[in-house]
Amino acid sequence: MQFAIEDRGTYTEVVATGRLNMVSAPTLRATVDEAVGAGSRHIVVNLAATEFMDSSGLGALIGCLKVARQAGGDLRIACVQKQVQMVLELTNMNRVLAPYGTVEEAFARD
Amino acid sequence: MTVSAPERRALVIEDDADIRMLLVGVLKREGFLVEEAATVREGVEAARRGVDIITLDLNLPDGNGLDACAQIRPISDAYILMITARGTEIDRLAGLDSGADDYITKPFSPRELVARINSLFRRQNRQLAATEAASAADENERRRAAQVQQSLLPRQGLQLQEYDVAGKFRPSRAVGGDFFDWYPAADGMHFTVADAMGKGMGAALVAATVRAVLRSTAEEPDLAQAFASAAASLEGDLERASSFVTLLHGRLSTADGGVDLIDAGHGLALHISPDGSWRRLASGGVPLGTVPGWEWEVVRLTLAPGDSLAIISDGLLDIYNTLEEFAVAAAGTVAGADSARDACEKLLVLGEDPRVEDDVTAVVVRRNGGEAA
Repeated sequence: MQFAIEDRGTYTEVVATGRLNMVSAPTLRATVDEAVGAGSRHIVVNLAATEFMDSSGLGALIGCLKVARQAGGDLRIACVQKQVQMVLELTNMNRVLAPYGTVEEAFARD
Repeated sequence: MTVSAPERRALVIEDDADIRMLLVGVLKREGFLVEEAATVREGVEAARRGVDIITLDLNLPDGNGLDACAQIRPISDAYILMITARGTEIDRLAGLDSGADDYITKPFSPRELVARINSLFRRQNRQLAATEAASAADENERRRAAQVQQSLLPRQGLQLQEYDVAGKFRPSRAVGGDFFDWYPAADGMHFTVADAMGKGMGAALVAATVRAVLRSTAEEPDLAQAFASAAASLEGDLERASSFVTLLHGRLSTADGGVDLIDAGHGLALHISPDGSWRRLASGGVPLGTVPGWEWEVVRLTLAPGDSLAIISDGLLDIYNTLEEFAVAAAGTVAGADSARDACEKLLVLGEDPRVEDDVTAVVVRRNGGEAA
């Protein structure tokens, strides 16, 4: 799994490509920790190319959300695929991490 | 890993043909498969193909032995024995700094060379044996952990008038983050099916903690209150462990078949009628450890005679495209089973699929009676 960070001006986009699981979860945590540490407050995780997420992957997203909120910002997710959507619905985490249709929409109304 | 002698390969890097022949002869008698090289370039090439031991002359036509050593070390873990005509301390130190393991000065006797090589392999075998002992200890620990985790599961066959209760758990590793639990209460029983984030030992530790804390709230008569207090005491631990737990926790009142249920992000509880029709129960609560101060709602259902409540871990979901497909398959399996135990076994059989990588757990509570009885 690969993570790329893009500065989009008002927010930082983290593009996650591959399978978000026990192996890759710590890298997502580190990537977002680094972005928040460098001053990014608004993070959008682009999951368009994340074909699979397990509980460890969800745990990493939740951890990243907490880090962003503790820094006074927020983390949102965009472009989720079917399997990820199902995990979010099953765990009801879509009530906390509501997926946005596109990356641009995530912070558009803030 | 085995200690049984594999073919040992040696490489002799030496430009003097006589000495090379001598070294090759000695190493062959010791049972080595021997390759030869007369220059640094040839030597590095041969080392790249993989060898266990290298004898390396300090003076070679295209460079010195120290350079060769520096080039070989990054590409090979072979034991490097430097052979030098200059027996001064400086040469010796430089030889060892460059990544060589030992040195021998010319002139040397074949017996001295053999003694050096044998002492090296004794050392390697001791290291190998130590590694093996450590992995055997790890294996014992895993086995013991698996036994402990099994012992934390309830005994089969809680004796409840009119009800049949069974559960089954198959971890994807020695131990896992799934668990189920039940115990008798004044008017029926309490039960839990949970899945701690991740797999393996870390997840199992979290699971055991959650089980103990939930049990400690059994005396609190109000389910919502009991669950809130369990969640409050687990929140800090889960936060520090960067973990969370999805679970279903419920209370069955045997007299009327009433079940009070809290869904903390588990989402896979099915109320199944004897004809196989089903309803998925979801109260919309988030997993434990994700949102501080969350208030979980209690959902209520009534098991009519013949009805089953099946709670299944998400491991099984891996083989279905949609929740709907999963529910149809699971409901059909449970409705067609002879008993709660039979239903659990058949549900786990569905999970015997290479696509299922996670722990798989199923608990079935069936109220006896109905048309079939």
